[in-house]
Amino acid sequence: MTAALELDGLKKSFGKTEIIRGVDLAIASGERHAIIGPNGAGKSTLFNLITGRFPQTEGAIRLHGLDLAGKAPFEINRMGLSRSFQITNIFPKMTVFENVRCSLLWSMGYRYNFWSMVGRSRALTEGADEILEQINLTARRDLPAGVLSYAEQRALEIGITIAGGADVIMLDEPTAGMSHSETDYIVELIRIVTEGKTLIMVEHDMGVVFGLADQISVLVYGEIIATGAPEEVRANARVQEAYLGAALEDH
Amino acid sequence: MTDQLTTDPAKPAQRMRAGSMTIPLIPWVVAAILLCLMPYIFTANSAITIMNQMAITIIFALAYNMLLGQGGMLSFGHAVYAGVGGFACMHIMNMGDFFSGLPLPFLPIFGGLMGMGLATIVASFSTRNAGVVFAMISLGVGELIAACSVIIVVFFGGEEGISGDRTYGLPFFGVEFLQQVEVYYLIAFWLLLSAALMYLYSRTPLGRMANAVRDNPERAEFLGYSARWVRFYSFVASGFFAGVAGALFAINYEILTEENLNTTQSGAILLVTFLGGVGFFFGPILGAIVFTLVQTVLSLQTELWGFYLGIIFVATVMFFPGGLAGLIMMHVPALRMGKLGRLTVPYLKTLLPAAIGTMGAAALVEMTFHVRHAATGDHEMTLFWTTFDSHSLTPWLVAIAVTTAGFAITRATAPAMLDAWNDANSADGNVK
Repeated sequence: MTAALELDGLKKSFGKTEIIRGVDLAIASGERHAIIGPNGAGKSTLFNLITGRFPQTEGAIRLHGLDLAGKAPFEINRMGLSRSFQITNIFPKMTVFENVRCSLLWSMGYRYNFWSMVGRSRALTEGADEILEQINLTARRDLPAGVLSYAEQRALEIGITIAGGADVIMLDEPTAGMSHSETDYIVELIRIVTEGKTLIMVEHDMGVVFGLADQISVLVYGEIIATGAPEEVRANARVQEAYLGAALEDH
Repeated sequence: MTDQLTTDPAKPAQRMRAGSMTIPLIPWVVAAILLCLMPYIFTANSAITIMNQMAITIIFALAYNMLLGQGGMLSFGHAVYAGVGGFACMHIMNMGDFFSGLPLPFLPIFGGLMGMGLATIVASFSTRNAGVVFAMISLGVGELIAACSVIIVVFFGGEEGISGDRTYGLPFFGVEFLQQVEVYYLIAFWLLLSAALMYLYSRTPLGRMANAVRDNPERAEFLGYSARWVRFYSFVASGFFAGVAGALFAINYEILTEENLNTTQSGAILLVTFLGGVGFFFGPILGAIVFTLVQTVLSLQTELWGFYLGIIFVATVMFFPGGLAGLIMMHVPALRMGKLGRLTVPYLKTLLPAAIGTMGAAALVEMTFHVRHAATGDHEMTLFWTTFDSHSLTPWLVAIAVTTAGFAITRATAPAMLDAWNDANSADGNVK
């Protein structure tokens, strides 16, 4: 079976600085994969390379066996990969409902349609309401998304990310800046909405990582020094030395 | 759907939910009736001329707002799409054989297609970004085409422009469009049709995504939409309706010149749209009405109308970035809470003196202008229905006194108005 996502000798340099220095990684379909590592290890850069925000310098990225080289973000999205951002990235002026509805349009086949009324489509309205129900934002349905609390905005972004029906979901620090109870809430939410999908996330909170992930990769200075099940990674001497020891002591 | 539907139907959120499924018809019916009745209310020929101009400006401003308000693209050269559409129609009017078989009311379709064609070409290379690059390309293309008007004389007619005669068209149910009022109804029909189509467009998937791309192009890309293509389609649609406006201009005035294409015209439409408010669909309509009134009615009263218009524009941008529509919609929460009445007296107390002060200030401006620019020996001027000697001291003292008093009272009562505003916009007792 081809991996849902496969990185092959991936490299990225900004000028002379090599940020990603040859990453090989295969993420199986249905896996929950966390990428951890110290600040500046290149986790977000790796995300941005995969989702087509930046072009890679070398190497290949394959989604379900298809090469993503030169693909724009919207094309990658149409191939079934969706992402959230480290800094909340929603449509703040639109209502919560409209945010979700917009994220359904392409996958429901509306494309660049300018002859049907979005308000008349029962499928769209019900689909969006269903997502709102899943992310527990039904009560906030008609508020502008910009006025929601931070945790609610994060939940909304997860809703937008999954709404299009992508089967590979990438979340960039979904619990960053959240309180303990908010974190627990979001983790539970992620668990439910990504059921049966491939989840790839960058996360700092070790509680979240060890609670949610089946597989963990440790990225240090642009290289993956270990990949494996949580217990293996936790026991890995190199990981302990490079990163995890310090991080675990904090928690 | 969800249990939320069955909760309190009086809550605005729930009402909006019900409303989101239907398109409100009442404003459109009212607008249609009003458009039909206008020539009976304002029967003078000059009034009909003004209304024609107003309607054309409304279509153009709405088309422009498809870019600026809906799509977040600031264009400095939008007059060319209207202008080129108009020139094309002018040429059709001069094609005797073809035009004599074409009823005049169908002519705007050709103007629209021409505007759309040009917009397609320009959009194909300018919509990659919405920011400064887009604005600069629009300015460059605008200048380029305006410059062509003296170069490609065969299409643009050089300095004299192109003129024609609309009455050579195939009579439409016996109407030959000799009368201004017949032209009025033609324009009114196109106004209603274009406005309705543009409104409906904003409710389509593409129209919604135009908003999404305006607010957050990156997120839109990660939802499967190419920001560039969404902008491209908005531009093309906007070009069509701009072309329709140009065609109606051609029908109404029967002449087009370089002035219909140049940057001044592009600047005017930006001003109109911004004045009315880019955030609401009806904003540009208000802007076009106010602008046309200032341009026609006020320009009969004073040579300095452009100066006042400039002040209104700057004041709008600085204090009410939402424009006139934003100013009106600001009052909706108070209206919903039934507390709008509480604002009446404070508004009168502050805004009436402000209006008087403004009139005083305008008098000072006019008197200065008269003293500096009237013919030597002409000391007599008429202002606010009073004739006086602009070189004597009394009128100056009066004007200064009125201005100072007006603004002083405004300033003194402004805090009370603010308090009233806050009161009217906060829920009584518990927070909702």
